[in-house]
Amino acid sequence: MFKRTFSTLLIILLISNYNSIANNLYDKQDWREEEGIYTRIYDAKIKLISGEQTSIHQLAAKKPLIVALVFTRCAGVCNPLLLQLKENIQIILRKNQYKFSVLVLSFDPLDSLKDMQNLAYRFNLLNEPNWELAVVDSISSMTKSVNFFPVWDMRKKQYDHDALLVGVNTQGYITKKLIGLRSADEISLLISDINNVYRPSYRLPTPANMFTCFNYDPKTGKNTPGWGLAFIALPALLTVGILAFLRLRGKYHS
Amino acid sequence: MQQSLLSLFLILSGIIILVFILVYLSSIQSQPQQGMKNPLQKRFWFITIMVVVLGMFFFITIPKSPYYLYANEQPARIVHTVSSQFVFLMSNQDIDPAQPMGENIELNTNELVEFRVTSLDVTHGFGIYNDKYELVAQTQAMPGYVNKLRWKFSEPGKYYILCLEYCGSGHQVMKSFFNVK
Amino acid sequence: METKKLNKITALWIVAILVLFILSIILGIIMRLNQGELIKIQPPTFYADMTTHGVTMIGIWFVAGMAAVNYFMERYVKTSYTANMFAMVMTVIGVVMLWLSTLVGNFHAGWTFLYPLPFKIMWSTWATPLFLWSIGVFGIGWFVWTISLMAAMLKKYSMSQVLAWQHFGKKDPEVSTPPFVLISMISLIGVLTCLIAAVILLILLFAEYYSGGTFKNDALLIKNLTYFFGHTIANEMLYLGLAVIYELFPEVSGRPKLKTTWYVALAWNLTLFFVLAAFFHHLYMDFVQPEGLQIIGQLASYLASLPSSGVTVFSIIVVVFRNKINWSLTNSLFFIGIVGWVVGGVGAVIDATISNNFILHNTLWVPAHFHTYNAMGNVLFSLGFFHWFSKYATNHSLPDKYSFVKLAILIIGGVGFLLAFYIAGADSVPRRYSTYPKGLESAKTLAAVGGVFAIVYLTGILSFFVNISKRCLNVLFQRS
Repeated sequence: MFKRTFSTLLIILLISNYNSIANNLYDKQDWREEEGIYTRIYDAKIKLISGEQTSIHQLAAKKPLIVALVFTRCAGVCNPLLLQLKENIQIILRKNQYKFSVLVLSFDPLDSLKDMQNLAYRFNLLNEPNWELAVVDSISSMTKSVNFFPVWDMRKKQYDHDALLVGVNTQGYITKKLIGLRSADEISLLISDINNVYRPSYRLPTPANMFTCFNYDPKTGKNTPGWGLAFIALPALLTVGILAFLRLRGKYHS
Repeated sequence: MQQSLLSLFLILSGIIILVFILVYLSSIQSQPQQGMKNPLQKRFWFITIMVVVLGMFFFITIPKSPYYLYANEQPARIVHTVSSQFVFLMSNQDIDPAQPMGENIELNTNELVEFRVTSLDVTHGFGIYNDKYELVAQTQAMPGYVNKLRWKFSEPGKYYILCLEYCGSGHQVMKSFFNVK
Repeated sequence: METKKLNKITALWIVAILVLFILSIILGIIMRLNQGELIKIQPPTFYADMTTHGVTMIGIWFVAGMAAVNYFMERYVKTSYTANMFAMVMTVIGVVMLWLSTLVGNFHAGWTFLYPLPFKIMWSTWATPLFLWSIGVFGIGWFVWTISLMAAMLKKYSMSQVLAWQHFGKKDPEVSTPPFVLISMISLIGVLTCLIAAVILLILLFAEYYSGGTFKNDALLIKNLTYFFGHTIANEMLYLGLAVIYELFPEVSGRPKLKTTWYVALAWNLTLFFVLAAFFHHLYMDFVQPEGLQIIGQLASYLASLPSSGVTVFSIIVVVFRNKINWSLTNSLFFIGIVGWVVGGVGAVIDATISNNFILHNTLWVPAHFHTYNAMGNVLFSLGFFHWFSKYATNHSLPDKYSFVKLAILIIGGVGFLLAFYIAGADSVPRRYSTYPKGLESAKTLAAVGGVFAIVYLTGILSFFVNISKRCLNVLFQRS
């Protein structure tokens, strides 16, 4: 009897696991943002464009960091990443009380401090108080510690890489990552996260669901109603409508 | 904790049953239609006492809700947990959903651990049991969401994970463990 | 002639409900005995059995409340027999579809069919749509019935009268709303709301099923809708039973009718809102749900206990306390049912506290408390009505025989069965396990003990079934 139960279970296990894995591939969930969370970023020595020598941990200790990884000859995602980040941060700064700085690091060994200065000039970041641009001495250890692996494309003579923002708290721990060009709301969420604001839960970047109940609003730390919530309120509203209709009909007939 | 809740329940139930028995006996033994004197006033006092007692319970228990546990501390450990029919995978590293792999987990006593719990397929429950099989903490594992459960283990030993949300025909065999030293 | 027609429909409901009840109890006993390792069935069979047990029980006790309410509603307004019959036909079709999907198709996603479990097919592929459609068929039948009862009431009473608003601040208003009408309306509004939630839930699930996965649902939204529907209907069916008690308890006790007062009106109007917000307590362990809703869940669950205990239970106590009343099997069942309801309520309030739920959620504490106010509460309310009806409709006036023994068997069986659940819940035993893993030592023994007591309870139910169904069949085959 036990054997039969066991073998049935084993078959169920195999079949259902096969199913779930097949489904997952179909779903194509992107969990790369989960990689390396709560590991420490490599404490690389960096040289800021002001000429100051420091390290990532030392800089983070002053204010939590959003680390953006770019290279100056980039003809791809770096420019929109920085432009959008700058724009979003201007929006956020009007409302957000949390402290942070943006650290733009070059991952290209060919980039000099001069190149980074030019970059700062081009994006008009020289006088921005929350922005630091720097070159780093041990690029591979640093990029490895944030699971960032740019690939050199021989044909384009360009690095093929993600638009990655890494949130680092004052102890040097990576608390959140964002991949891709993201909205001001999500950047703001990142900022509250590197300030160690605990939220018991968050959504995974899964394929967009049309009807979610809540969208997390990082500015206030509260959830704002999404379309899904309307579905929870709908039954009550419809009931009121039906009651009104029945009463009007009842009145008419009597 | 659970045992004291059971005691509370049994005591309250005992009182309720006793009251109803007394009410029944009063009916059996009564002269015709004496009734309750001033029932509205008694009703008022009964509801007032209920409001006070429930109000106290409410304000005492709400801050103990799991959403506020250790909210102002920095976790020393993150344990990534992925559940799928019918296994739990736990890892110190992030877990790749395309090739989910777990590892043995060893935790230290009194360090703040944050379990980041999610699911690859259906909704599961992540229930942490101690070696005496007492449920100490739990959260749900819902696909598309990550629940963060923060906990400090004061006792060393082996801890078991059991599934606490019905997830299909292997629900009862879904089990894992970790050690606390 | 007309009453005879309603009597026949009601008698048919009663026989059908009792037969399905006995079959579902047997399914329940099989589960407990399997957990106690006194018998052995395969896990998928166990879970198909569990799914059948859950949906059937909720369904039959809901329609039991509805049938009783419909029966007494006729005293106040003209109800539609067509809608009543339509609901019966749909319920029967729904039950057949449901049992086919679970017992033949082996569908076993639980009565909650929590998304996305129904779509992870571990059974015959046709069973998933058949199961979902069976819920749809129930929904349509009950929706029509609910609407027709509401329409009948709203023909006679205005909106504010049916909700007894004229009683606020006035001692003797011109039109007095009978408590039965008020409570029925409040319950039916809740029923209608949760049936609409079920419709939305089914539409979303069908959208995903028939789109072949191109439309994806959100697990959190679906869980909210599932419990909006599931929790609320389970709660409202109790209130339907209470409406009957307000009507029948004083009547069979030889006491004057209960009147609507300002506090009765207020209590029931508030109940409507508390009940509709209480379902959030099913999602306490989903930390993704915003904290505001979690706190509303605890608050609403606490508040819902105030009008129930302070007004309804208190009113029954006032009727009985130091009053010589005609005790019969009917009002004894009601009286014991009230005790079961209150005790189950205590278990519920304990579990509806978030910090307790953290260590009780989805342990056997949950089935413990809801079985208390179903098996020892709502079932007794309905049995009381069934018993009374079967005698009243057949002009049977002989005193009840063996009442004490019947009640004693029911109580002993019920209490033993429930205690096994509560103790196991406090021992952290998870619910919905076909068998228990090593380590959960008390679980097996308690399951076996619970199973044996459930057999005692079944014996008690059978003793009621024999007399009630015999008389109901007489009503059914009376010449009209």
